[in-house]
Parts: sequence; C-alpha cells; structure tokens
Amino acid sequence: MFSRIKSRFGDIDTIKTLCLLAEKHALADQLRAPGAEHFLLAALDLPEDTARQAFERIGADASTLRQAIERQYSDALCSLGVDPKVAKASADEPLPSKLGAYNAAPSGKEVMLALAANRREHGPLLGAHVVAVVAGQQHGVASRALRVMGIDANALKSSAIEIAAGERRAPNLQAHS
Amino acid sequence: MIEANALPESNQPEDALAAVVALRRLADTLERQAVRAALDQGWSWARIAQALGVSKQAAHKRLSEVAASTSST
Repeated sequence: MFSRIKSRFGDIDTIKTLCLLAEKHALADQLRAPGAEHFLLAALDLPEDTARQAFERIGADASTLRQAIERQYSDALCSLGVDPKVAKASADEPLPSKLGAYNAAPSGKEVMLALAANRREHGPLLGAHVVAVVAGQQHGVASRALRVMGIDANALKSSAIEIAAGERRAPNLQAHS
Repeated sequence: MIEANALPESNQPEDALAAVVALRRLADTLERQAVRAALDQGWSWARIAQALGVSKQAAHKRLSEVAASTSST
C-alpha cells in the first residue's frame, strides 16, 4: 500500500519534470507547445537513463535525436526548394517562457494520455515508458525524426518495453542512488 | 519563391504534410522576427495587425510575447 502511494508521488514528480523539460525543448525549437518529439527529448534527460538505454539496445545513438528532428524539418523545406538556412538563421534564440496553464501540442497530449492510460500496467514512470509511447506513433515529427535516424520504430518500442520491464524487476540502484 | 512543381506529390501525403508542418514553423518564426523588427522601429500594434491582415487583438494575443522580449532587451 505504502509503496503504491510512494510510487504515485514519484510518478507525479517525474511527470512534472518531464513536462517542464519538454516545454524547455519546445521553446528552444521555436514552438510554444511541446509535441511528442519534445517529450522524447525530455525522457532522454531524465536521470534514470532508461530512455537512452532503449535506443542503445537497438544500436541507436539517442544523442543524435535533436539533430534528426532539425533534419526532418530541413528535408521537408528542401523538398519545396526552400533553403533550410533561412529557418536556422531566424531561430537562434529560444522563445521566452509564458506564464499560465501548461499546454502541450496534440502529439504531446497524446503521449501524456497514453502514459496515464497505461499507468496501472507499470511501476514507477520511466523514460523508457515515454519512448515506448512515442515510438508507437505512426506519424508526426517524432516519427519522422526516428526514420531520419534509421530507427525501426517497432523495434525501439519493443526495446523500451523490455528495458522498462527489466527495470521494474531489478531497479537500477546506481541510477537512483 | 516555391515552384508549384516542387511541391510534394499529392500521392505522397506523408511528405506533403511534413512540408506543411515545416513551412508553418518557418512562417511562425519569420513572423515573430518581422514583428520584433517592426516594434523596434516604433510600429504600433494596429499597423502591424493591418500589415499581417489580422485584427489588432489577434495580433497582440498571438505575438505579445515578442513585445515582452523586445522591451526587455
């Protein structure tokens, strides 16, 4: 009983951290509301490191995700004959943070809703859970960025689920100490 | 200038939709930059709104953060 309550409070802390980090990534990306790709970047920032492990398990380098997100924008602009440097030159500073209610983009809301819906199926919320949810999205910026990285989204999703399950069986004491 | 024949084929909706998302983000960034420059040159919100083809209220609501960042610099 106590462990469930503790886990619930731990989840609230993780969700709060995740949302703040995702917003920071969105603002740096010139967007007001964080999308699934920003939640994925935020998951990689979590200290328990399971998100990065999910990528590593399939031989992918999670540190290239930000470049892949930018690349999928550049590729799309190039396909129209627009020089992507135009966008880069004008997007040098993050947007200022805005006071008021937290607002995620639809793809970000989808991530939050899926995490909430799956809450009973897992122990403490981990970055790997976020990776599994985002990898399950078929379309959108995050999905395109994973393709740019040459990642099979289904393999990443399976990897993330396995990492999260393994973490539940044997918590990573080093990461949590 | 974007050539019409450079647009992604309509039978490739994934590419066409990705292009729309990228253009929208680029347009939003350019809009903030242009509004910041206009405010720096003393333009009023009414004038900016007219140039953007939107109401003054809509321009201010959507872009007031630009004013805040301009006045803080």
